Amino acid sequence: MSNCDQFREMYEAYALGALDPPERAVLEAHLATGCAECAKSVAEARWLVSQLAYLAPEAATSDMLKGRLMQTVRSEAEAKSSSSVSTGATTTASGIPYWLSASIAALLLLTLYFAWDAHRLKDELRAANEQNQRNEQLVASAKGEFAATQQKLAAMEEQMAKMHRETAILTDPSSVKIMLAAQKIQAPQMVAMWHAKYGIVLTGQKVPMPSGNRVLQLWLIPKARGGKPMPSMTVRPDANGNFEVLVSNPPAAGSDTKALAITEEPAGGSAAPTTTPKWVGAMT
Amino acid sequence: MFLAAFSPKDDREASPDAALVRLLLQNDVGAFEKLYDKYSRIVYSLVLRIVQQSGPAEEVVQDVFLQLWRNSAQYDATRGPFVPWLLTLARNRALDTLRLKSERQRRLENQTDELFSVVVAPQYEKELDEKRRAERVRSLVGELNPQQKRAIELAYFQGLSHSEIAAELKEPLGTVKSWIRNGLIRLKEGLHTAS
Ligand SMILES: [Zn+2]
Repeated sequence: MSNCDQFREMYEAYALGALDPPERAVLEAHLATGCAECAKSVAEARWLVSQLAYLAPEAATSDMLKGRLMQTVRSEAEAKSSSSVSTGATTTASGIPYWLSASIAALLLLTLYFAWDAHRLKDELRAANEQNQRNEQLVASAKGEFAATQQKLAAMEEQMAKMHRETAILTDPSSVKIMLAAQKIQAPQMVAMWHAKYGIVLTGQKVPMPSGNRVLQLWLIPKARGGKPMPSMTVRPDANGNFEVLVSNPPAAGSDTKALAITEEPAGGSAAPTTTPKWVGAMT
Repeated sequence: MFLAAFSPKDDREASPDAALVRLLLQNDVGAFEKLYDKYSRIVYSLVLRIVQQSGPAEEVVQDVFLQLWRNSAQYDATRGPFVPWLLTLARNRALDTLRLKSERQRRLENQTDELFSVVVAPQYEKELDEKRRAERVRSLVGELNPQQKRAIELAYFQGLSHSEIAAELKEPLGTVKSWIRNGLIRLKEGLHTAS
C-alpha cells in the first residue's frame, strides 16, 4: 500500500476540513476507490479532530431549550408508536430520491445556473423529505411539497431540452437562415434558423410591442399554388422588444415552404391571418 | 461507503452510551433525555464557540439532538464511539450556519452523508470522563506555540482551509500545514499517554 503514502499527511487536515479543494479532491477520489487503510485513517483522524471540541469554553444550555426539545421528542414518539406509516420508500440511503441524483448529474453538465438551482431543489427535497419523516400529520403537506419540487425539476428539464435543441438549431451547419424584413414599419429584421430535424428558432430584437394583449404570430407560406398560410407559434416580445421562440414541430417541411411571415393577431393567435404581414422572409 | 470495513468492538457495544442509543431505535424518550442531559453541555459549548450567538447556537443544538433522535438508526449503522460522532455532527451543523451567514460558497458535499461519517477511536483510547478529557485536551493544546494553536482553532472553529489560514496568519502555506498536522499528532500522542 505504498501508494497510500502520499495521502498520509492529509488525513488530519481532511478530517478537519482544512484541505484546499484540489488536495481534497485527490484524497476523496482515492477514498472513493474503497481503500480501507485510508478510510480507517480518516475515521481515526475524525476522532482526533472531535477532541478539539473540548477547547470550547464551557457554556450552559437553557432549560427552555430542553423543554422545547423534549416536547417535540415526546410528541414524535407518540406519533411513531401510533402509526405504522412507512417513510422514505422512494429515497436512497442518503435520503435523496434516486431519480433526482440522476437528473442532477445531467443538469450539472449544462449550466452553472441550473447546477445551482438543482442544488437548491435538492435542499428543498431534503427538507420536504425530512418533513415527511418528522410527523405523520405533516406527511400530506410534505408530499405536496415533494410533488411541487418534482414538477419544478420536470419544468427545468424541459427548459434544458429546449435550450439544447435551440443550440443545435443555431449551430448546425445544415440549418437554413431566413431573414425576415419589416414591411412598411420601422423595425429591425427578424432572424429564423430552420433545421430539418430540430425545428425553427425565431429571434427578434427591438420589436415594437403589439398593442393591448395582441401577439405576433408566425406563418409558414406553402410553395404549393393557392396553399393557405399555416399557423404556427405566437409570441410577445419582452420589455426590451426581444424574443426568442422555438418551433419544435413546424406545421410543414422547409422544402414545402416558400416563405415565413409574421402578423399581429389577437391573443391566442388565429387559424388564418387577420392582418397583413409585418415581417416576411423568403426561404432561400 | 466504508461502513463494512469496520466491525464494532465488543467493549463499545457494551458501553452505556451505545446501549442508550440502541434504545432510541425503540423511541425511548427516557434514553434520549439521559443522552441529552449528559452531552448537551459540551455540544452547546462547541456550537456556541463556533456560531458565537446563543440564539442560533440553541437552534443548532436542537437540530443536532433531533437528528440523533430521528436518525438513530443511521448512527447505529456506523457504531463509532458515540460522543465523537455527536461532536462531529454538531461541528458540521454549526459551520454550515456560519457558511450560510457569511454567504460563503457552500460546499457541495452531501450533508446527509455526514450522518454516516465514520469515527473510529484509536486502539489505545481509554475511557476518560468528560471533565478530565477536557482538561487533558486543553493542557495539551495549550502547550503548542500560540500561532500553531491559533491555526488549529481557525480550522476547527471557523472552518477555514489551509490557504485561508495562511492568509489570515500571514504565514507560508507549508508552515500552516505542518503546524496543524504536527499539533494534532502531538494531541493524539498526549491523549495516548493520558491515563
Ligand atoms: Zn489508501
